[in-house]
Formats: sequence, C-alpha cells, structure tokens
Amino acid sequence: MAATRKVKIGTARRTETIDIRVPETEPPIWDADAKLTVVGGSYPRLDGAAKVTGKARYTFDINRPGMLHGRILRSPHAHARLLAVDVSKAARLAGVKATATFESPTFFAALDETDESGKPVEGAGEKAATGPRRILFAGEEIAAVAALTPDIADDALDLIEVRYEPLPHVVDLEDARKPDAPKVFPDGNQRPATVWSAGDVEAGFREADAVVEATYTTPVALHNALETHGAVAEWQGGKLTVWASTQGVFGVRDDLAKFFKVPSRDVRVISEYLGGGFGAKFGAGVTGVVAALLAKKAGAPVKLMLDRQEENLATGNRPDSVQWLKIGAKRNGALTAIHLRSYGTGGIGGGAGVSGPVRMIYACPNIKTEEQDISTNAGFAMPFRAPGFPQGSFALESTLDEIADRLGLDPLALRKTNYIDRPNKGLMEQYDLAARAIGWERRRPPAENAAAGPIRRGFGMGTATWGMYGGPPADATVTIHSDGRVECICGTQDIGTGTRTAMAVVTAEVLGLKPEQIKVVLGDTATGMYSPASGGSVTLTSILPAIRAAAELARDKLFRAVAPALAAKPEDLEASGGRVRDRVGGRSAAFTAAAARLKSALISAQAARADNYPGVGIESFGAQFAEVEVDTGTGRVRVLRIAAAHDAGRTINRLTAESQVNGGVIMGLSYALLERRVMDAPTGIVMNPNLEDYKIAATLEMPEITPIMMDVYDPANNAGVKGLGEPPVVPTAAAIANAVSNALGVRVRDLPLTPDVILAALARKEQA
Amino acid sequence: MSGRAKRRAFTRRAFLKGIGLGSVGATVLAAPPSKGTRPAAPAGTGRTLGPGAVAITLKVNGVARTLRVEPRVTLLDALRDRLDLTGSKKICDRGECGGCAVLVDGSPVLACMMLAVDARHRAITTVEGLSTGGRLHPVQAAFIEADALQCGFCTPGFVVAAKALLDEVKTPTAEQVREALGGHLCRCGTYPRIVEAVRSAAGRKG
Repeated sequence: MAATRKVKIGTARRTETIDIRVPETEPPIWDADAKLTVVGGSYPRLDGAAKVTGKARYTFDINRPGMLHGRILRSPHAHARLLAVDVSKAARLAGVKATATFESPTFFAALDETDESGKPVEGAGEKAATGPRRILFAGEEIAAVAALTPDIADDALDLIEVRYEPLPHVVDLEDARKPDAPKVFPDGNQRPATVWSAGDVEAGFREADAVVEATYTTPVALHNALETHGAVAEWQGGKLTVWASTQGVFGVRDDLAKFFKVPSRDVRVISEYLGGGFGAKFGAGVTGVVAALLAKKAGAPVKLMLDRQEENLATGNRPDSVQWLKIGAKRNGALTAIHLRSYGTGGIGGGAGVSGPVRMIYACPNIKTEEQDISTNAGFAMPFRAPGFPQGSFALESTLDEIADRLGLDPLALRKTNYIDRPNKGLMEQYDLAARAIGWERRRPPAENAAAGPIRRGFGMGTATWGMYGGPPADATVTIHSDGRVECICGTQDIGTGTRTAMAVVTAEVLGLKPEQIKVVLGDTATGMYSPASGGSVTLTSILPAIRAAAELARDKLFRAVAPALAAKPEDLEASGGRVRDRVGGRSAAFTAAAARLKSALISAQAARADNYPGVGIESFGAQFAEVEVDTGTGRVRVLRIAAAHDAGRTINRLTAESQVNGGVIMGLSYALLERRVMDAPTGIVMNPNLEDYKIAATLEMPEITPIMMDVYDPANNAGVKGLGEPPVVPTAAAIANAVSNALGVRVRDLPLTPDVILAALARKEQA
Repeated sequence: MSGRAKRRAFTRRAFLKGIGLGSVGATVLAAPPSKGTRPAAPAGTGRTLGPGAVAITLKVNGVARTLRVEPRVTLLDALRDRLDLTGSKKICDRGECGGCAVLVDGSPVLACMMLAVDARHRAITTVEGLSTGGRLHPVQAAFIEADALQCGFCTPGFVVAAKALLDEVKTPTAEQVREALGGHLCRCGTYPRIVEAVRSAAGRKG
C-alpha cells in the first residue's frame, strides 16, 4: 500500500514542501527537516587500520593451502586466425599442474552472453561459428597454465607452441573509418549511429546571434586500478569459492554459475577488500573463468592475477573521441541550438558515446546528437568512471567558453543564463561556492592574459552532472546481540569509496551509536544480502535505504524488549547518544543494558530497498573551477588550484565524500594533462601498457584542491542519498582546458594537454 | 621470436632476473623512484647461486625466516608468496609505482626490484612491522585520521616511504613530502591528504 507523505526538499538557501507517494512500510524520509546527529559528520574509515598496517587481505593477497599460480598466454597479433595451440611441452614442465587452451571459437561464448562487460559485443555471434577462432586484438587469451610458482608458470608459457595465420589489422580510429580498411567484424568497422534530437537545430542556428563550431579530440584512457583483475578459485566437491577483485560479487557469482553450469547457490564470491575498479571490474570476465577452470583441472586452488601489461591490454579502457560540436546562442548568452556529431573506438567493444553532458546539463530548446562506434583491433572498452561524460564535457564546456568569449560574456554568467532551475537542485549555490573559493573575480579576458609575458595564468570552469540512482533489489540485515554488539550485513563491495563506513554511519544514526561501534559485513555473496554492482554511483543509493529500514526494524524490536524495564511504551522510546530513552517518562538505559534485556541471544531484522519515490530528482550536480599556469616557452601546464563544489543529496560521511571529490578531480586532471594509450599502427600493439609510459598524475602534479560538499534535500529514497562516484571526474578536464585557453588566448582542442598540444595551439595563434 | 619473448626482452625485471646473481645489477636497478628513496648498499658475496632453489635466511621485521627460493625470485615475491607477508603490494612489478616499498637497513627499497638472495644479511622492515604491540606508527595513525587512503592498495608503500622520510627529515615541508613521495602512484587520488597526513605525523611520538 502506498501512502502520501509531505517532504521538505531543497537546499540551505531555499526549501519547499511537496507531497510524494511512498510505500507505507517506508521509514520517515530524511528530508530537509530531519534532525540527524551522526549522518553528515566526518568519520575515518572503519577499515583504515587494516589498510595502513597491511593486514587487509585483497584478492591479490589471498594465499590458500596448496594454492597454484595461473598465467595466461596472449596473442601477439592484433588480428589472426588461431590455427593450433600445443601445450604438451608446457604440461610436461616440472611444477605445472594444469593447462587449458582456448582454440574453440565458442569457448567463451557462454561468457559473452552473460558477461556484463559486453566483451566482444560484436564478436559474440562469430564466436558461435565454426572454423578456427579469429583473434581480434593483441592480448586476447590463447591458453593458460597453473603451476607451483609464478615463475614456473611463466616458464611454461614460453613452452606453449602456437600457430597463427596473421590477418590485416587496423588499430587507428581514422584508418578504421576508411572504406578499404581491414574489417574487424564481417559487417565492417562502422557501427550504426545513435541519433537523438529535441526541437529543430537548424531553426535554432538561424535564431542565433553567434554560432561556434569546432572539432575536439580525446584519447583512449586506461583504468589502471592498482589491483589488477584477477581471482583465486577453489573447488570443494561441486562447490566453487572465488575471491575476486570485482565491483560486483553477485554478477561474478552468476557468470560463473552459468559458465560452469552449477546452481548459483553453489558458487560463493568474496571481495572483502578491493584495490580499485573504476568501471572495469564487472562480471567474472575471462580471468575469473580461467582461474576457476584451472582450479577445476588441477584439483587445487588457483590464484590468477593479471600483470600490469595484461591489465592494460585486455581488461577495458575509455574510448577515444572525435567530436564536432556546433553551438548557437543569442546575444545575452541564451543557447538556441547544440549539434553534436561524434565517433570513437572502444576497440572490439562499444561505448564511445559522449552526448550525456550535451543532453543533460544546460537549457537549450534545440539539441541534436549523432554518435557512432568504430571498431578497431584493440582491447574492448569498459565503463570508466562516468562513461562518456569527461569527453563530452570537455567539448561542450570548451565550446561554451568560446561562445562566451565571442559575445564578451563571463563564462559563469553564460552558464547561469542557461540554468535549468528546480527546487531540489543546488547547482546555482555550487557555482557560487566554487567561484568564491577559486577567486573567479580574478579571471581576465584572454587578450589581457596574453599580454602577461611567457608564464601566463588562466581560469576556467565546468559543470558536473550524473543521473543514475540505484534502486531495488538491495537487501540488508541489521543484528543486535544481547551483549550490545551490532552487525550491519549487506553483500555489497567497498571499492575504496567508503561504503563500509557509510553503512556503519546509517546504522549508528538509527541506533544512537557511534559508527565505530558497528561491525560491517560485506563483500560476500554468502551473506545472501543482495547488492547491485558498485558502478554508476549507485552503491549507497541502493543499499543505504535498505540498511536504514533494517536498522529501524531491529531498533523497534529492541524497544519492545526494553520498554517494560523502563516502564515506558515502546513507541515513546528513542535511541541516541548510546542510550535508549523514554521521551515521556525520561528514564533511560545504556544501549548495552537495553540489549541485555533481550530474551534471545540476538535480534535480527532484514529489509529491502523500496522503489525510487516518484516526483523527485535523480541527478547529482557539481561545479569545478580551475586556475592554471602555462609556460608558453615549454608548453608545460601546471594546475595551481581547483575548487570543486558537489552534492550527493544528503552527505553521509563528509570526510570520505571529500576524499572522493579529491579523487575525481585528480583523475580528471590526470586525464586532462597526461594520459593516452598509444598504439603502433604497423604492428597493432599497445606501446605503453605500463605505469611508466602510460603516465598518471602523482604528488608533484597536485594542485591545491578545495573540495566542498553541500547537502541537497531531494529524497528519492528514505536516506535522501545520491551518487558521488562519477560526478567529480566529469568537468575537471573541461575546467582545466578552459583555464588553459583563457591563459593562452587560443583554444586547445585536443586532450591530453601535453606540451606539443600547447605549442601547436600557440603556433596556430601566431599564424592567425 | 614470439610476442611473449619480445615482451620479456623489454622488461627491466626480466633483465634483472637474467643476471642471475646480480648483486650489483640489483642494487643499481633498485634505484630510487624519487629523491626520497635511496639505493641500498651492495651486499655481494661474489659467489654464484642457482639456478636451482637455494636456502636463504631473511631477517624480516626482526624475525629470521629461512626459505628456499630460486635466485630469480624477487624480494617482493618472497615476502608475499613464501612468507605470506602480503602488505607490500605487487602493482607494476617493475619499479614504477612504489607499492612494494620496504625498508632495507632502514632505507626505502622497491622490493620488486631487488632479488631475495640480495636481501640476505639485511634488516628488512615491511609495513606489517611498523606497528609494534598493536600500537600504530604515527604515520599510520595520521593516515587514518586524515583519510589519506581510499581503496588502500597503494597505502602500504606510501606509509613505508613516509616513515623513511620522517626518519630522515623531522618536520618536512609540503614540498619535501611531495618530492619524497613523487614516485608513488595512487589511482583513487589521495595525494593531498597523504601530504597532510605525513606533515601531521611529523613530530608525533612513535
């Protein structure tokens, strides 16, 4: 049954009360009027001690009795027919306990159907075909071994004999679009375009006082989570236990159950600590399957962790993009039309679309987007922190700044002119907070900066948005033991975002305890408490409402048990400050004393995530401002400061939320300045599959970062929480590029902003 | 040459392992990722070991541990796979990221760039050895308080290197911390709070 509830939505600056329909069983919504004492504070993460002492066991750290080490042999060819694989010599090497070959074109077919990664989406059909398996990129899996030590496994790989029939390949985006390019898939390399439109862009351009059009490019980026993909697999009888470095234990469980044709109840997947994922670790993947396969063949546990090179060849990437963007605006900056045409390559996968920011952020009556995936003989794309958004944001925000310059408008004023207003949105305040923090009033027009000498400073900004919101199914259990211990149980995984601590914060809020008093159990399918995969910024939005509901049910059971001792009615009791208190009579008992009144060893309550409430928003927002210094002699860009104001609905743990904002900014900065996968066209191989030649930002590149978390009361669930994983990475590259362009007086249109790009832009300006 | 063989030919660690004994080679290649990490002094005996497994004794966190390793086994693999000390992380396995930093005779060394046989007769301290009697080292406590970690996979390397820095420079400036830890990589983006944590740990009693 649904009930109508009044909720107060908005921000600190303005609120309004609306009616929404929610399931009757839902707890009172944490809206603008909710008085919370734990939620919103700053709490060090509960697993901090385990992580700083080296005690935390990640998948890579799991050592099982009798465990073997697995290694995978990969194709050196970007495109080839796999004619024969001979592992006999490897199998005879002392210490080798199992081998496996993947010659059959249908070997991974079951995985192709089920893998959330969509690994060879386009090739899945072909894998069901007969004849020799066709290798589609350098780094595809050919065979695998398990041996007593990693070094023996390495030796064994060198003994595997493989016959390939090399085929012409194409790895370059532009080459792949040519009519005579080698075909990655039988139907060619150009996938059908995705077209979306609202209004009439041509009419919009006719109304415009200024029209700007330009082409932007972004590189292929590699996730490089520091823990590589991998798993430890162990069979006992017909049952499989897998420790997996994964963002989704339940997805891995279901993939493995399907692949090995066992019931999912016979597969247990554990991920207690996870060394990052960023979107590349969904599903069992080939690695998980091969680990379990080798373990089955050897009759012993097998650890199969990829090395850094494999990680960078065959586990995912962010597609590149070429974006042609045309934007029209009236004299006052009001947008009249946006037209985006883009293409990019996710290798043999897809996902090169970039139109999210164009369609979601600014008010514009006429928008058209045309996006196309191009196939190349390269590793498949995987979602990478806000898939499509950093690329799209870079082109969109750059073009908006160009319009602002053309019209003589302040770039921030132009954004505000095109603001989509809603009461449950804090972006306007975020603009002001971040602008104040960076000192936006110090921004000068490009012409003035250009007169400053060889070292120039500039300011730029960009807007973040993200619109995934989680939902059911997500289940949680909260248990109160008679000795006062409390457990919060959900099978979800903590990918480094602080999920574990946030679970404790919400449980502690409900029970009137401190977060460190809550024992959190997660990262295990055996809990039976389902959680979606941790991707798309949906973890907390999915699980916290279930946790809160479970905690309230458990608390109410505790109230009923302790009420007689306090001579109170259960409904008059409240839990706060470590005590259970009668609001009417005033008597109270310590939480542990109350728990001791239980007539059982423990009480436990389970609850499920309700649907998102209708009529409230789903997006998180943010604004980032950057100040940079550019050396026009060397072309070197130094980011001096970044101010980032964000919201995740109601902030759960301010300390870890700020860390997440810092992290998004740093990843965005790294993307803006340093990162690019380089492929060699003649050989079709990746030239920089390591952490030396594929450069990521480190301490010496760090600007001063000011993370600002504001609360927005927009409860689409009972906890009023929204996603924060993706938004902070969205506008950073755009803000930096705009600051660089502001400093130089010429647009930079290609990421990463390496010195050659800067110097080329300056040369272009001199020619003009 | 197969593609795989080509790959191996181009890795520095394969080169290092190929040296076999390689006391000098290992020492040179264990060169610092930044100014903050100093090369360990050579301990060459001049005697050729291997290629089969040899018994060695490593003094790790104050405890002598005897194990059998082939001379090609790195100190990192010996710690992680043979001694089950998994705090030091294997991230790049070629001296690019700092995730496996340990202290050898008090100086930070990348355990993936040193052979286990070359670590004999040295005092090795891993991240597991920094906290004594359940008491966190000030750097560790400061990392937790400042939230200088997210996924935590890079954290042990940072903690070890930060400890080594503070042993040498009592109250480093932010710039000195950034320099000393410049060769360590973190993908979650915890650097600002790491610098904050190290400075906050400076001067605290261990």
